[in-house]
Amino acid sequence: MRQAVLAALTASAERREAVALVSVVAAQGELAALVGRHLVVWADTRTPVGDLQLDELQLGDLQVTWVEAARAALQQRRHTQLHYTTAQGDIQLFVEVQPQPYSLIIAGAGHVAVPLAAMATLCEFTVTVLDDRPQYADRTRFPTAHQVVAGPFRDELRRLRGGQPTFDPHTCLVLVTRGHQHDVELLLEVLDDPLAYLGMIGSRRRIRAVFELLERQRGIPRHRFDRVHAPIGLEIGAETPAEIAVAILAELIAVTRGRPAAGRTASSR
Amino acid sequence: MGTTFYHQLQQLLDDGMSVAVATIVQVKGSTPREVGTKMIVHPYGKHIGTVGGGCGEADVIRVGLDVLVDGQPRTVRIDLTEPIQMESLGVCGGILDVLIERWCPDPPAEQDPR
Repeated sequence: MRQAVLAALTASAERREAVALVSVVAAQGELAALVGRHLVVWADTRTPVGDLQLDELQLGDLQVTWVEAARAALQQRRHTQLHYTTAQGDIQLFVEVQPQPYSLIIAGAGHVAVPLAAMATLCEFTVTVLDDRPQYADRTRFPTAHQVVAGPFRDELRRLRGGQPTFDPHTCLVLVTRGHQHDVELLLEVLDDPLAYLGMIGSRRRIRAVFELLERQRGIPRHRFDRVHAPIGLEIGAETPAEIAVAILAELIAVTRGRPAAGRTASSR
Repeated sequence: MGTTFYHQLQQLLDDGMSVAVATIVQVKGSTPREVGTKMIVHPYGKHIGTVGGGCGEADVIRVGLDVLVDGQPRTVRIDLTEPIQMESLGVCGGILDVLIERWCPDPPAEQDPR
């Protein structure tokens, strides 16, 4: 049974899907024998796997409650402790969440992309680099990236949605192409996607001018750009491409960890 | 891919090793690692991961070796609230509860893993 638990956990990691491991940490009375037992729970309705089956103890209802609690923990991407009091004794569980990893798409394979891809991979983002210049979107420049894609920006970005109408909330997009027209083209493509993070490089002046232009020429109201992190990155005085990559990655971490730090965006608008 | 904690655990079991898995399940105050941090306690000292190092981790390893012998899962409380003047390293000011369990290859090896 242990083997089935482990196989379920490794298979889920390979499929890049969220999974929770429920473990019995402590239990009293008739339930004491459950300590160290496990249940693997997925976010969808798949039948949980493991040796923590309570039907034989007439605690089937409690099991349903645990599975729901584990699914809630998955939703919140947060490890959770559970305590229950039953007629048979108290029981304490730990829900360990193995969240779906965040994907990071870097549009533009230039000077900032190289250190950003390397560092983001270290921080366990699944990195895809995209550029329309094959000599830049080259595997040898991004040895640790999950994917390196060469092709027209908009077409390839659409293809990266994987057949879905929008990107999912586990995807981050950083726009650092060589020309602002490409950044803007991609920005408009994903403006309504529920991305975890959407950032665009450019100076304060440049960004303001771009948003004003889009409002004037395309009638896109300013508030629709509110969630765009532009200028991109945390304010750390970054100057070199590597330092800018650090500032961007720091902002990505702050956003994906739910601790919005003071970005450069807030101070510029 | 293939380098997650559970892949490393699977590899050890596939190699016929029994190991103890330590998981931080609760913290109070300031602690070196967060809830959910995991570590493999290896019978020959080739541990994987860290629950924060120092004396606290030494306790986890010691209990892990006990768990390897008797197979009884248990929770240890690591108290890092000693006064700073005690000069012991790794004093952060918090308390952590660490669940430690034995994981064996299938079928479970019955012999003493040492």
